Amino acid sequence: MDTSSPSAFVNGALLGRLAGRKVRTVVQVIGSEIGSVVGKTTDDVQIFVRGSSPAPLTTYVEVIGIAESDNSIRAETWTNFGNTFDPQNFNELCKLANGEFKHLFM
Amino acid sequence: MQIVYRLIVVLNMETIVPHSETIGNPTMSAESDTESGNFPPTNRVAFNEPAFQHSVNKAPPRGVNIQSPANSTPSFRPSVQPLYQPPPSYRNHGPIMKNEAPARIIPIAALNPYQGRWAIKARVTAKGDMRRYNNAKGDGKVFSFDLLDSDGGEIRITCFNAVVDRFYDVIEVGKVYLISKGSLKPAQKNFNHLKNEWEIFLESTSTVELCPDEDGSIPRQQFSFRPISDIENAENNTILDMIGVVTSVNPSVPILRKNGMETHRRILNLKDESGKAVEVTLWGEFCNRDGRQLEEMVESAFYPVLAIKAGKVSDFSGKSVGTISSSQLFIDPDFPEAQRLRNWFDHGGKNTASSSISRDTMPGGGSRNEIRKAVSQIKEEGLGRSDKPDWVTVKATISFIKTDSFCYTACPLMIGDKQCNKKVTRTGTNMWLCDRCNQESEECDYRYLLQVQIQDHTGLTWVTAFQESGEEIMGCPAKQLYTLKYELQNDEEFAEIVRIRLFHQYLLKLKIKEESYGDEQRVKMTVVKVDKVNYTSESKYLLDLLVRSL
Repeated sequence: MDTSSPSAFVNGALLGRLAGRKVRTVVQVIGSEIGSVVGKTTDDVQIFVRGSSPAPLTTYVEVIGIAESDNSIRAETWTNFGNTFDPQNFNELCKLANGEFKHLFM
Repeated sequence: MQIVYRLIVVLNMETIVPHSETIGNPTMSAESDTESGNFPPTNRVAFNEPAFQHSVNKAPPRGVNIQSPANSTPSFRPSVQPLYQPPPSYRNHGPIMKNEAPARIIPIAALNPYQGRWAIKARVTAKGDMRRYNNAKGDGKVFSFDLLDSDGGEIRITCFNAVVDRFYDVIEVGKVYLISKGSLKPAQKNFNHLKNEWEIFLESTSTVELCPDEDGSIPRQQFSFRPISDIENAENNTILDMIGVVTSVNPSVPILRKNGMETHRRILNLKDESGKAVEVTLWGEFCNRDGRQLEEMVESAFYPVLAIKAGKVSDFSGKSVGTISSSQLFIDPDFPEAQRLRNWFDHGGKNTASSSISRDTMPGGGSRNEIRKAVSQIKEEGLGRSDKPDWVTVKATISFIKTDSFCYTACPLMIGDKQCNKKVTRTGTNMWLCDRCNQESEECDYRYLLQVQIQDHTGLTWVTAFQESGEEIMGCPAKQLYTLKYELQNDEEFAEIVRIRLFHQYLLKLKIKEESYGDEQRVKMTVVKVDKVNYTSESKYLLDLLVRSL
C-alpha cells in the first residue's frame, strides 16, 4: 500500500479545512462541463471537480485529488462507484475518519 | 398484703456494659422471695448475667425435671417465673393494655416493618387484574393495587386468596382509602417499580375503608416524566414515565407469544422537545382500546399527546418503550406537561426533525430480533445448550461443501397441504416406499441435506442446510445436481458447480440446539435462512456498532 501520499476522506463540510491537501470523496454527479464535473457531496454540498473525467460516469463517482477551496477539487483519479451507492454511510465514514477515529487514518 | 405489680416492657435492648453493679434496689416479688431464698443476691439481676441465669435456672442436671412433683425443690424455681403468671388485674390497666384507639395516619414514606400499628390514607392509582397461580403450595389467587398519598409516597398492596375476596371489589382506581394493618415485605423489584422498598400484604385483620370525603390533597397520579433523550441512556427493563406527541401509529398485528397464546402488538412513534423520537410498543389490550383511539386521531391529522405511566425500556433494537400489565396510558391528558408539549408541537415542534432512538429494522436488513454472533462465539457462549434453541445470525463465508452425500430421496406425497418429505427407500419393484405414509410412489423428490463448512474471522464450523437454504447455497435444485452426478456421471461439471459456490459471503441465520445421539451430546446447527451480504445495509450495521461502542 502506498502511504507516501495519503488522501483524507472528506465530505463537503471537511473539504474547506483541507485546502491544499490530498483528499478523496464521493460525489453524486449532477452535471458536467468541459474540464469539470458538478457534483453533490454526501452532505449535500455542491462542489466542482476539475480535471478530465473519464466517460461515461456513473451516478456516484469517487475522486482523489487536491482540495483547492471549500467547493472544488482538482481530481487526479476518477473511479465509478455505480448507481446504488449509499451516501449516508460514506458521510458517516468521513466524520469518523476525521473525528473519533482520526488516529487510524493518515 | 395486696401486691401491686408494675410491669415495664422494654424492646430493642442493647447491652452497653456487660458486667455492672446492680442498679437501684430491685426486690423479688413476695412469692419469688420466699421460694428463692437459697439464691445468692446476684441471682436477682440475672439479665446482666445470662450465662449464670441459664446455668442456674434453665439447665437443671440431666434427667431432673424441675416441674415434676417428685423433685419439687423450691430452690430450682426460676427467679423470673412469677412474671409469667399475670394476675387477672393485668387486663384492664397498665401499659401493656391493648390500644383500641384508631391508629395514627402516617405518611407512606414512614412505613416500615418494625412498627406495629399504622394507618395510611392514600389514593388507588392502579389496580391489577386478579390472577390465578399454581405453585408447590397449590392453587391460589392474587391481586395488587398501587397507592399514592398526599406526601407523594407510593406503595403496592398485595392480597392473596381469601383476602382477595374481601377487597377486590372494594378497591377502585381513583378512590381514597384508609388502610390499616398488614405486613410489610420487601418489594419485589422485578414486578414492582414503585419508589418504595416495601410492599404491604393485607391480612384477614386488615381494614380498608373508603374515604368518601377526600379533599383532593392527594394527586390522582404521580409522574416523573423522563425526556426521550434520557431513555436513550436508560438501562434495559427500566420502568419509567414518559410523555410525547404521537406522530404515527402502526396497525395492530397478532403476535404468537412464547407460551403459544396469541396477543396483539401495535407500534407507535412519539417525539418530544428533547429532539428525539422513540418507538412505543403497545401490547395486548392497550392495542385495541387506546391503540385504536390513537390511530384514529393520527389518521385525522390530530397528533395527540400520550403520557405513559410505567413503561418498560427495551434495548431490543436501539431503545424502545413497551407497555407492561401495570402500565397506564393517558391520551391528551390535562397536565401542565401535556399542555407545554402541545404548545411546542403546534409552534414548530411538528416540523422539526427528531432522530429516533429506536430502529424499525436492524441495520443490516435483518429482522429486528436478529442476534449477530461470530462463529467462535457459538462455542464460547455455549449456544444451543439451554432448553430452547438459539437463533443467531453469522456473517460467514462458505469454505467447504461435502459432496459425497448432499441430498436424500424424499416422499412426494401430500399430507394435508404439506409435502411429506420423509426419506423414501427403493423397493424391489422399483418404487419408492415411505414408512410414514406407508405408500409407494413411482417418483421421488430430491431434497438437499447439505453439510457445509462456514468460516469467519474468528473460526470455522459445520452447519447443515436443508432444502430451501441448500438450494440458495448451491444455486440450483438438488435434483439437477443429483442427475449430473449420478445419472450423467459428469463429475467434472459437478465439481465445477460446487467450486464456484465456495468463498461467497452470506448472512446465515442458524438454529442451534444441542441434541443427544445415543450417549453423545452434539450441538446441531441448521441453516434456516441464507442471504447474500448487502453491502449497503451491512455497512450501516457496522457503522452502528462502531458508533455505539464510542
